[in-house]
Amino acid sequence: MTGGASIVAERLSKTYRVKVREPGLAGAFRALFRPRYREVHAVEDVSFRIEPGEVVGFLGPNGAGKTTTIKILTGLLYPTGGRAEVAGFDPWRGGAPFKRRIALVLGNKQQLIWDLPPEETLLLNRAIYGLSDAEYRRNREELVDSLGIAGVLDKPVRQLSQGERMRCELAAALLHRPELLFLDEPTLGLDLGAQEAIRAFVREYNRRHGATVLLTSHYMADVTALAPRVLIINRGRLLYDGGLTELADRIAPVKRLELVLEREVDRADLERFGAVTVLEDHKATIEVPRRDVARASARLLAALPVADLSITDPPIEEVIARAFAGEATKGVDAAERAGDVGDAGGARGAGVPEGAPSPTAAAPPRKEAE
Amino acid sequence: MTASLRAWARRYGALIRAGWLVDVQYRAAIVIWLILGVAQPAITLAVWWSVAGGGEVGGFGQADFARYFFAVMLIDQATLAWDIWYIDRWIREGELNFRLARPMNPLHEAIADNLAYKGKSVVLIALVWFLIAVFWPAVRLPFDPGRLALAAIATTLAAAIRFLTSYVNGLLAFWTTRATAIAELHWGVSLFLAGRIAPLSLLPPAVASVAGVLWFPYMLAFPVEILTGTLTDADAILSGFGWQLVWLAAWTCAYLFVWTRGRRRYGAVGG
Ligand SMILES: Nc1ncnc2c1ncn2[C@@H]1O[C@H](COP(=O)(O)OP(=O)(O)OP(=O)(O)O)[C@@H](O)[C@H]1O
Ligand SMILES: [Mg+2]
Repeated sequence: MTGGASIVAERLSKTYRVKVREPGLAGAFRALFRPRYREVHAVEDVSFRIEPGEVVGFLGPNGAGKTTTIKILTGLLYPTGGRAEVAGFDPWRGGAPFKRRIALVLGNKQQLIWDLPPEETLLLNRAIYGLSDAEYRRNREELVDSLGIAGVLDKPVRQLSQGERMRCELAAALLHRPELLFLDEPTLGLDLGAQEAIRAFVREYNRRHGATVLLTSHYMADVTALAPRVLIINRGRLLYDGGLTELADRIAPVKRLELVLEREVDRADLERFGAVTVLEDHKATIEVPRRDVARASARLLAALPVADLSITDPPIEEVIARAFAGEATKGVDAAERAGDVGDAGGARGAGVPEGAPSPTAAAPPRKEAE
Repeated sequence: MTASLRAWARRYGALIRAGWLVDVQYRAAIVIWLILGVAQPAITLAVWWSVAGGGEVGGFGQADFARYFFAVMLIDQATLAWDIWYIDRWIREGELNFRLARPMNPLHEAIADNLAYKGKSVVLIALVWFLIAVFWPAVRLPFDPGRLALAAIATTLAAAIRFLTSYVNGLLAFWTTRATAIAELHWGVSLFLAGRIAPLSLLPPAVASVAGVLWFPYMLAFPVEILTGTLTDADAILSGFGWQLVWLAAWTCAYLFVWTRGRRRYGAVGG
């Protein structure tokens, strides 16, 4: 049925029931006997398939449902609806044999024992995962090497920098050499260099072991560097499933002409060639439809005093921001994409109908005050 | 079979080692907890000591109270359960997440932590008791290996029951943010019904007989009374062990129930 796919999500849904806090003493008293609940539809009807060895980026704004989806796929949460299959297991029922094949890394809650050196967490995980001495030595050596953590393994975790800590966290989480990696914001709060180190490691691990990786991040560079394919989720619904470049084609099928002019030019003069997005002194940016780019630039060079011209793609951040703004929902109906993964059926990431009421639109942040 | 036994021995070895090393980091705090932990029975002893004066209260003379509360100090440390505070935090702060992603029930981590901590505190208190007994005959126990063995078994069962009450209480955090308040309530009741404030035989008979069918005395008073020799009647000892097994089974069922239901209910907060 799953045809060898690593991860199958079929119409997954997760609804949280959140107790409504009533203001005032009387409200608190009433809530004691008849609490009122509000439903938060964190994930709704999400379907996708990920093949073995794929690296997939999972994108979406805060509260979109990324972490919830990952928690369902790793068996932490019981889905309200739908079905998941990961490495041939039902994550909820897979138990220890399933857990041995996956790794979950949460950027904001790490498993390293805070008061002890990372080495101790490695020793603990060796025992928990029941690794033989040979396996332990082999895996540990490989991880310590490629993560470059030999020098920090014996320092207490609380003394490590965030970047060192995350590298050690990856070593602890991957010590058992899992074939499936769920990385939830592994680069959270890291500087550029540290982010790059994590990216390089993930790329290397995927290449060396053919591991499947599902990665969420708010840093676009993580995704563009690692994941040829992205899933975009917003308000619990899958908006897009496909390649990053196709995404740009679909949502923002434009190129940018960045101009440096020899003298100032009227906006009206520029607008004859395309949409002007920037105009300050001698600099201007014009967006033109992709297929017109050659003609537009030729005309532009002939008509205006251009000192310099470069043609670029709009940054992917902006493309995605546009997708969320709903500008392009018509264009991202992923179901119409060529069916390159076979039998997932029509369930694969249907686009959100424009103007559809969003169940989570009015949801306030979930953290309850304590 | 033996292979899996060896794997579990390794796991517990590694878990206890980690728990021990963390405790070493907090040794100053632990000494303070230990002192606070023995302070309550010590103060209670001082009160009863002066109440008894030269005579007896309900069959307890000064020396009987001294032995009783020294045993309370020891057995209280051996059965101590702080797990509610950990489990509640794991659940509310999302620290349960990575534990659930590992191929091991987090229960084992809690058990191993208990073993690591109690290994230290029990030895320490027994040692201090022994030293005090050298100078103060009132707290000496007659040497009786059979009774010591029975007391050890009763203490182990008591620790298991008390651990489970605390762990199950912690799991209530799946449903409520008030799990720790429930723990405080449970502690308050156990002050009286577990024999912490006074030996059970000094309680009003009605209260004592209610206590006798609940789990409270089997978490503390029962092993204490075996150790001090207050309880010598074979039938009474046998029935005490019977109740311990009943409550151990009941709390194990409660754990299984709350764990399976709670897991389903888990919002996996945090992140
Ligand atoms: N335990 C919970 N109880 C109630 N609501 C929750 C819970 N966890 C998440 N939610 C809600 O579910 C929705 C999805 O949350 P989720 O954490 O999956 O988002 P996310 O995409 O990971 O966001 P972020 O980028 O901020 O990490 C949000 O509206 C959130 O408030
Ligand atoms: Mg998240």
